[in-house]
Order: sequence, then structure tokens, then C-alpha cells
Amino acid sequence: MTKITPQFEDYWPSMQQAISKLLHQLDVSKLEWQELFWNVHNVLQWDEKAKDKLQDALHRDVLEFISEAQSTVLSHHDDQSLLKAYVAAWSKFFVQCNYLPLPFAPLMTNPNKSSNTKNTINEENIVRKLMYSSWNENIFSNIKHRLQDSAMKLVHAERNGEAFDTQLVIGVRESFVNLGSNANDKSIYIENFEKAYIESTESFYHSKAAEYLLSYGVQSYMVWADSKLKEESTRGAKYLEPFSLPALNDTCVRVLVTNNKDLILSECLGMIQGNNTNKLNLMFKLLDRIEEGVEPMLNYLEEHIVNQGLADIMASAEIITQDSEKYVEKLLNLFTKYSTLVKEAFNDDPRFLTARDKAFKQVVNDTSVFKLELASRPKMNNGQATKLPPESRCPEMLANFCDMLLRKTPLSRRLTSEEIEIKLKEVLLVLKYVVNKDVFMRYHKAHLTRRLILDSSADNEKEENMVEWLREVGVPADFVNKLARMFQDIKVSEDLNQQFKNSQNGTSEIINIKILNVGAWARGSERVQVSLPLELEDFIPEVEEFYKKKHSGRKLQWYHHMSNGTICFSNQYGRYDLDVTTFQMAVLFTWNERPTDKISFENIRLASELPDAELRRTLWSLVAFPKVKTQIILCDVPLKSMKDFTDTTLFWVNQDFHLIKNGKPQRRGKLNLIGRLQLSTEKSVEEDNEKIVQLRILRTQEAIVKIMKMRKRITNAQLQTELVEILKNMFLPSKKMIKEQIEWLIEQKYMRRDDDNIGVFIYMA
Amino acid sequence: MTVNNNNNNNSSNADSSNNNKLFSLKKWNAVAMWSWDVVSDTCAICRVILMDACLRCQADNKQDDCVAVWGECNHSFHNCCMSLWVQQNNRCPLCQQEWIVQRIGK
Repeated sequence: MTKITPQFEDYWPSMQQAISKLLHQLDVSKLEWQELFWNVHNVLQWDEKAKDKLQDALHRDVLEFISEAQSTVLSHHDDQSLLKAYVAAWSKFFVQCNYLPLPFAPLMTNPNKSSNTKNTINEENIVRKLMYSSWNENIFSNIKHRLQDSAMKLVHAERNGEAFDTQLVIGVRESFVNLGSNANDKSIYIENFEKAYIESTESFYHSKAAEYLLSYGVQSYMVWADSKLKEESTRGAKYLEPFSLPALNDTCVRVLVTNNKDLILSECLGMIQGNNTNKLNLMFKLLDRIEEGVEPMLNYLEEHIVNQGLADIMASAEIITQDSEKYVEKLLNLFTKYSTLVKEAFNDDPRFLTARDKAFKQVVNDTSVFKLELASRPKMNNGQATKLPPESRCPEMLANFCDMLLRKTPLSRRLTSEEIEIKLKEVLLVLKYVVNKDVFMRYHKAHLTRRLILDSSADNEKEENMVEWLREVGVPADFVNKLARMFQDIKVSEDLNQQFKNSQNGTSEIINIKILNVGAWARGSERVQVSLPLELEDFIPEVEEFYKKKHSGRKLQWYHHMSNGTICFSNQYGRYDLDVTTFQMAVLFTWNERPTDKISFENIRLASELPDAELRRTLWSLVAFPKVKTQIILCDVPLKSMKDFTDTTLFWVNQDFHLIKNGKPQRRGKLNLIGRLQLSTEKSVEEDNEKIVQLRILRTQEAIVKIMKMRKRITNAQLQTELVEILKNMFLPSKKMIKEQIEWLIEQKYMRRDDDNIGVFIYMA
Repeated sequence: MTVNNNNNNNSSNADSSNNNKLFSLKKWNAVAMWSWDVVSDTCAICRVILMDACLRCQADNKQDDCVAVWGECNHSFHNCCMSLWVQQNNRCPLCQQEWIVQRIGK
């Protein structure tokens, strides 16, 4: 190796040539490019001082190139052409910033830990940094404000519909981003470009929005604002760094939506009234961009549904209070209408669904059209009478409608099985909103009892399905189980009836028995005394005898207000089969001994032994049965009210009674006189209401104790909340009742108030 | 429907004598309720009304099999409650007399 050590000066000229070519983006041959790598390597290997020298020389050259570029760029005075020239120069330079550093990579390797390259990977590229900072100092920092301004002007022009080379704006942004002191430092970009961009966006739309609102009105403004929001987010994605987008979006939303929120909202109610789902959907999308933006819409919706619902019901109050089918239909129309609205306009957003549900609940439980008064006589609670605030009759109407669907009625005959099922499901939907489900349950059970006893169910399978559906919608298990038990029990009784008939001969054609478990059906319900006609009386010992053989330890009680039958009425016109209650039978059979006599009320009472009120109802059903032209029994007082009967009122059999069909008198026919009479004695309605109240009191006490036992210590407010939660599937306890029950429980030493804070209760074991 | 010729004034009607009457019975659906023939209607062991199944049977869904039992002392309980009770103490929980089954309901 006699060769002289290579010196920096020897290599530089050829290197310089290549560098200059690179900077000016002239063709660099493969050989030249490789030579540059080789030279850099060589120089650094042999010349100790080469590193500094090389950097200095490189810096000099870059500066030289930059000053050339500077003069070309700055020769343009007009901002627009300045921008163009700058971006052209920058984009060239930007490309070179990626190539030129490559051959100089060895400059960066630290000789002390040359083998350990891992650390250097992330280090700033010295050459690139040198290039960037030279560019920044010499060109960019001087004109950046001008550049930025003209870029913003371009964006502004684009917003006004002019097209231009988007690269111009992007180039400026790149300069801002890359010319930071290091790669992660975006502060120059944020403080200048991003800020300017967002500010110009805001001022642009600030004036535009006001203008647009003024000339086109709110509804078209919403369309416009929505499209502008989308447009700006696409534009932002083009011209800004991704991390700037949330800030831009916030600004756009503020200037386009928040600032005009009140104006937009002022249209909301009108749109809901007009069922304008498309526009509401737009409004929802706009306002949902703001925090709490949709709250007022929720209020409008709720308020509107309530007003509309109540108005609907009020308008047809007459029909609705009489006709449960119409009532349920009205409610369902309302539900369907607004559920569709919420779906189409608000995409079933949970907040709107809640608002809808709240409104439905209010409509369903409203008491302005019809009320149910529940009161209990003082019985259990230290003598004080509990009177509850009036309640909606909705649950009663729902139960009545269910009965119409499940019983053999003209309605249930007209509908297909599927239609009935749909309607029942609809009832359950309404039931979901009913606060006092216990009222529904009571009526439903009464109706079911009647259907099972009279064998008047339209479809047994549907009956049992209904029980399961009730379970599914959250009706308390103990109630549903009771219904299920009734079905079981009636089957047991059917088997028994069969066995009874097999054991008898002759009479078996006439009598059917139902012997039911009192626990499943009618615990504690009052029986009504009646003196049975001999024909019936004779069966009683037979049945009792038979039953005693089958079972032991059981006692039987006859529920004649539940029993019924068919009798044949013969007169000169023909023979008519009458379906009657046992009470009606007892009354009618009085005339068998004296067919043409006029018998006084008092004498009928003595013969039938029916209580006054029951006798009135029974006679009334025979003298004023609404479905026939001629009544079976006539009387000597005008038919205004059953209260007009006195002891001396006379009754006699109408010998001219006949049935008419298609305008012709019939010789034969069948008439059902039972109607609503069966199973509801005069007293039972009042008693049932009382039972509901009593049960509520018990349930409330039970729930309070349950909560206290678990919590040991609880504030009044918390207790109320938990109580409502526990009882929600049965009823909504009134504040007054809760208070009374708490007092009672305190008196009974189940719990006490905290000595220091009377708003806190403490459980006492 | 077969022999009847609607001649109601004629007392020699082919049907039974019932038909001479103004109102005659064709069918009667009689309803009765049964309950255990007991003095106290609550089982003193499980505190459930005797007409309902005891809690154990309610949980096992064996309502129909849960019957009442009477002792010589005339006190009554759920049969299943009592059979558990006598394993511990062969006395009536109410009167402390020796427990002798008088009858079991069915």
C-alpha cells in the first residue's frame, strides 16, 4: 500500500458535482450515484477531519442551492405566483431531502459504538435536518405568512366553488409540518397553519350561515349545514394533518349548528306534528353532534305524544269508555304511529325510545277520561281507611279486550287464530306501560274464571299461551302460577266429572259437575245462599256421596253463583232452550207450580231465598234483557231501574214470549241469558277492589321489610326508589301509602328512624 | 228432537213428565269448591295455607301431591311438613300431645 492516504480535498470536487446534480434534479448516472457512496465512505475512513469538512462543504452547497431557489421564488411579488413558485421549488427540494441524505449515512454513525446501530435508527438524519433548517431559515420563515395567507385564500376560493391545484395548499402544509425543529414537533404547523385554517373556516361559515338562514329559512339551512359539515370534513382530510380533524370538526359544528341551535329547534315541534321524518332525521343528526343537543327534541317528542294521545282519547271518550276494543285500537294506533316516527326519524335511538315510552306511560295511565276508584274500608291498618287516588281504567279495558279475544264472541269468531295472537300480543305491549298491573291481573283472572267455568274459551291452546306470555312480560310469578293452577285444576275436575257420570245411570245426561280447589280459584270469596229447585236439590247428595268415596278429609261448598244450566221453556209458540244461571233458574222455577200467577217480589224472595240485591239483579236480567224483543218475565212497574222494584211489585211469565229470526217467529230456538251476570255478585266488585288495596298494603310492607333487611340502614329517598323498583311489575305505590306503611312498620318495631337524622331508617331485627 | 212433535197442550207427550211444566231442566253445570276439612287453615309448621302446597312442594312443582294430615288431637298440617317434624319430635307442634295420625287427606 504505497498509495497516499486519500484526502477530503481530493474527493470533494467529484462529490460536489454529483451533489449539485442531485439538488438540481439533473440526471445522475448509476455510476455517479455509486461513486458518491464510495467517496463518502473512503473520505470518512481515511481522513480524520473529513467528517466536519464534509458537513461544512455540504452545508455550503445546500445553502448555495437554496439561495438560488430563494431568488427564483422571491422574484414573484404577487402572492399567488409566489405560492406557485414556492410550492414548485419546495416539492423538488422535498424529494431531494429524501435522496441526498442516503450517501451520507456514514456521517451519522458514531465511531465509538459503530456496531450498535440500533440506537441510531431513530435518530434525526443530520443531512436532512441540515437541509430542512437551511430551507426554513432562508426561504420559508421569511415568507411563511404570505404563503399561509395565499393558501387560505385558495381554500376560501374553493369553498366558493373555484377549482385550483390542491397541491399548492398541501405543499404549504407539508412545509409547516416538516420544518419543525424535529420530526415529532408539530408546533409550527399547529400554531400557524392549523390555526389559520380553522379560523378562516370559522369566519367563512360565520357569515355564510347567517346569510343562508336569512335567505332560505331553517329547513333548507339544515340540509345545507349537513352537506357543508360533510364537505368540510372531506376538505379537512385533504388539507390538514389527521390529528387536526377533531378540532376542525368542533369548530364547524359550533359555527354551523351550535350557534343556530335555537332557530333549528324552533322547527322541531312543527315537524313532529307534521310527521316530517326526513327533516327530523336531519335535525337529529345535526343536533346530535352537540352535547345535550337532542335534549330539547326529546322533550318536544314526549310532550307532543302526550298531548296528541290525550286529545285522541278525549275526542272519542264516549265510545272508548264503552268499547274496550276501540280503546285498545286507539292506543295501538298511537303507539304504532310514534314508534314508526322514532324509528324513521331517530333510528330507534335509545334516548328517543325512552321519551316515547315515558309519553305512552302517561297516556295509558291518564285518569282524565275514566277513573277507577279504589278504596278500602278500615280493616287492618290501625283503623284508618285507605283511599287511593283514582286510577286509569286502562288495565280493566285491556283485560276486557283480552276476554273478547279469548272467549267465544263474534269478534273471536271473525278473526283468524293468527290475528287473535297478534292482537293479544298488542294488548301485552300496552300492558307494559300500565303502572298498576295488579288491576289488570284481577280482571284477567275474573274473566278467565268465567271462561273456564262456562266452558266458553274460544281456544284452549291460546288460553295457555297467554299465561306464558304474561310470564314473559314480567307479570309476577305467583300470579301467573295461580292462573296455571286453574288450568290444571279444571282438568282434574273434568276427569272427576267423567268418573261421576260413569258411576251414575240415567241422570248423567243432565248434570255436569265441576269440583275445584278453593285455593286456586276463589279463596275467601263470598257464597250466596239460594234455595234450589227440587230438580237440582236432588243431585246434591248424589254428588256429595260420590265425592266422599273418592276423597277424604275434604269438605265441599257449593258455589251456586257460579253454576248454570239450560232449561226448556214451552208455550203456545214453541219450545225454547234458555241458558241461565242457577239463580235465574231458581226464580223461573217458582212459576212451575202456578204458571199463570202474578207473583210479588217478596214471595219470589221467600221462595228463592236469594238476598235482596241478587234477586233484583236476577229479576232485572229476566224483565229487561237487552237482546230480545219480548221478555220472558213481565212486571207491573216501568222498566227504568232495578231499584224501582218493591216488595209488592208483581212479576209474571210472558206467555207470548217467542224468538224472532229474520222477522219470523221461531218455534224453536236457543237464548243465552247469562251474559255478564255470572260470577259477579253485587258485593264482589267492591270486595275485589278492596282486596286489591289490601294486597297492595301487604306487598308494600313486605317490600319495605325486604329492603330494610338487606340494607339495614337506608335514606328515605333511597327506600322509595328501591320500593318502586321491587313493586313495578304489580303497581305504583302512592307516596301517601308508602308513608303510612312506614309509620305502621315503625309502630310495630320493624324499623326505626335514626336519632340524628329522621330521613334515615334503621332495620330492627 | 226425534219424537217430539211440539204439541204442548197435549199431556200425552212422549217425553218424561218434566215436559208438561212451563220450565223443564235440560242441563245443570254445578260448581263446588273443595277444601281440607280443618279447624285452622294455616299449617303451623310452614306457615302456608293448607289449601296451597307447602313451600317444599311448591318449589318442586308437586302441588297436587301435597295433602293434609290430621292427628288424633284434631290438629292438621301438610303431610310432608309433619313427616319431617316427627323425625325430630313425635309430638303435635300445637298441643304437645303424642302425634298419632287420625287420617291423611286424598
